[in-house]
Amino acid sequence: MATALNDSFVTGNTRRNLQLVRISAFRALKVRYRGTALGILWSFTNPVLMTAVYTAIFGATFSKFYDGSVVRYVISAFVGLVVVTFFMNATSEALTSVVANGSLLNKIALPPAIFPLAAVGANVFQQGVTSFPIVFVISLVVTHDPVRAILVPVVLAGVVLLVTGASLALAALFVFFRDLPHLWQIVGFILWFSSPLFYPIELVSPQIRPWYNLNPVGQAITALREVTIARGPIHYRPIVVLLFTGIVWVVLGAWFFRAKRRDFMDLL
Amino acid sequence: MDAAIELRDVTLQRRTQEEFHYDLKRTFFDLLRGRMRRGRKRTVLDGISLRLERGEKVALIGPNGSGKSTLLKVIANVLVPTRGAVRIKGTVAPLIELGVGFEPELSLVDNIVYYGVLLGHDEALVKANVDGILEFAELAEVRDEPTKTLSSGMTARLGFAIATQFRPDILLLDEILAVGDERFRRKCAARIERFWDAHSTIVLVSHDMAYIAATCDRVIWVDHGAVHFDGPSADGVARYLATIPSGNGFARGEELIAVAQRNPRGEIVVRGTSPTDQGRKVFLIRDGLRHWVTTQAWYDKCGYGWDDIVHVDDTAILEVPEGEILA
Repeated sequence: MATALNDSFVTGNTRRNLQLVRISAFRALKVRYRGTALGILWSFTNPVLMTAVYTAIFGATFSKFYDGSVVRYVISAFVGLVVVTFFMNATSEALTSVVANGSLLNKIALPPAIFPLAAVGANVFQQGVTSFPIVFVISLVVTHDPVRAILVPVVLAGVVLLVTGASLALAALFVFFRDLPHLWQIVGFILWFSSPLFYPIELVSPQIRPWYNLNPVGQAITALREVTIARGPIHYRPIVVLLFTGIVWVVLGAWFFRAKRRDFMDLL
Repeated sequence: MDAAIELRDVTLQRRTQEEFHYDLKRTFFDLLRGRMRRGRKRTVLDGISLRLERGEKVALIGPNGSGKSTLLKVIANVLVPTRGAVRIKGTVAPLIELGVGFEPELSLVDNIVYYGVLLGHDEALVKANVDGILEFAELAEVRDEPTKTLSSGMTARLGFAIATQFRPDILLLDEILAVGDERFRRKCAARIERFWDAHSTIVLVSHDMAYIAATCDRVIWVDHGAVHFDGPSADGVARYLATIPSGNGFARGEELIAVAQRNPRGEIVVRGTSPTDQGRKVFLIRDGLRHWVTTQAWYDKCGYGWDDIVHVDDTAILEVPEGEILA
């Protein structure tokens, strides 16, 4: 009922909102990398180190699933870790973003969605200058297939959609449930272990595969591997599934955020 | 005339925070036991209708917790009413809780740009004004230091400088006059004065009745979330002060509370807080229409001294014969 006109004053201006998201994202990056010598490269250390650990522990044993090549295992693990670390970093950061900016929202009229979107934006930028280009190069070098390489950004866009949807929903939920980070950490572990990250998917028994395949992070990893290390004709199915899931998540996340937005201010 | 701000039957209900248990685990178990409770709502604003013309200077007064600041936030579009309509015409500069939202790790310059954009200005415009803002806040030498090195007074100065750098159509002030030391306060007051002259619409929340009477055209007295009085400021201030019991009933720490009334002998009696602090303002209303903001200097000028003020408990009373010209 209340004041459509006043509302559109804030939400109607797309250019301004984009500027807000951009400036908030870069502010977050500046804060994070202030006084660190390696700067943005730090975001890259996590997948690299984890890949090294996985390879040291499982490389020899599991390489037989990767045509007996440890290199293929390394690449496979790295590609998966890029997806998982991006997903978890961005969503965890977005989760607290609305509450963290509660005092600002209490004094300046701002669309609250800019804060989770800025968290996602900051992480996209961070990976966009580190691991994403490397995944692209890997695709070119390993597959020698320009079509696959061109599909890398498409798959990554699908991952960003997933992350955006989850981020909006989590940021809204956290306003109401302040113990959400604990739960999300557990969910993160579950997603991590139910994704074919450090083990080959062949180890998962066929009975639970249908359930296993529901894991969106697993879907994203499968799709990204399809365009980076897979051979033969391209299977488009995992890419389409990922994009479809991503769009559904964004729509649901945005819908939930919008529906709950009105109630935020009473609890910030 | 153009309405700058129009509120029609605005009602705002808010959930009382302490009733709500930010807890997923407990909500889950409550749900299992089938006793999910909905947060109780409290009516903070109750059917408020207002129309403020362009260029009007309006003060919101009322006791603490009456809904003044909430009303200001509704006008700032920070809070969206549960029912009713809000119509705002023009840019709004909300000067509410100055300095909240600065990132302590970032430099002053970064915070200025960020804050300016949040306040609704274009990034390029803010960047072009960084030097002007720093200069006004008198913080140009520390422009690249992290903001956490500033004292709270300096932070408030910076907040004020950013928020007032660009002339808004509508300026919202929440107890703004408490920024920095005495000298800086005067500088702030002078800047706000400029907005006053410049046809900006100003809405002010304050307990400083002398300031209100001297500077505002109109007073809106909010009580229990509803408009209790809406009219000329001298009249509003006099009525408001009349409800505050003299003596120990005066609120502590408020800059000034005093009121002039005609006693049965036809003399005008000024009642106010004890002017024991040198230079404390005392406020006088004559015939309920005219008003002066007064200080020690005023008493000296018109021939009265502190000694002429009779103290009754905490109340200061100055008796002035009717017809005496006091300006």
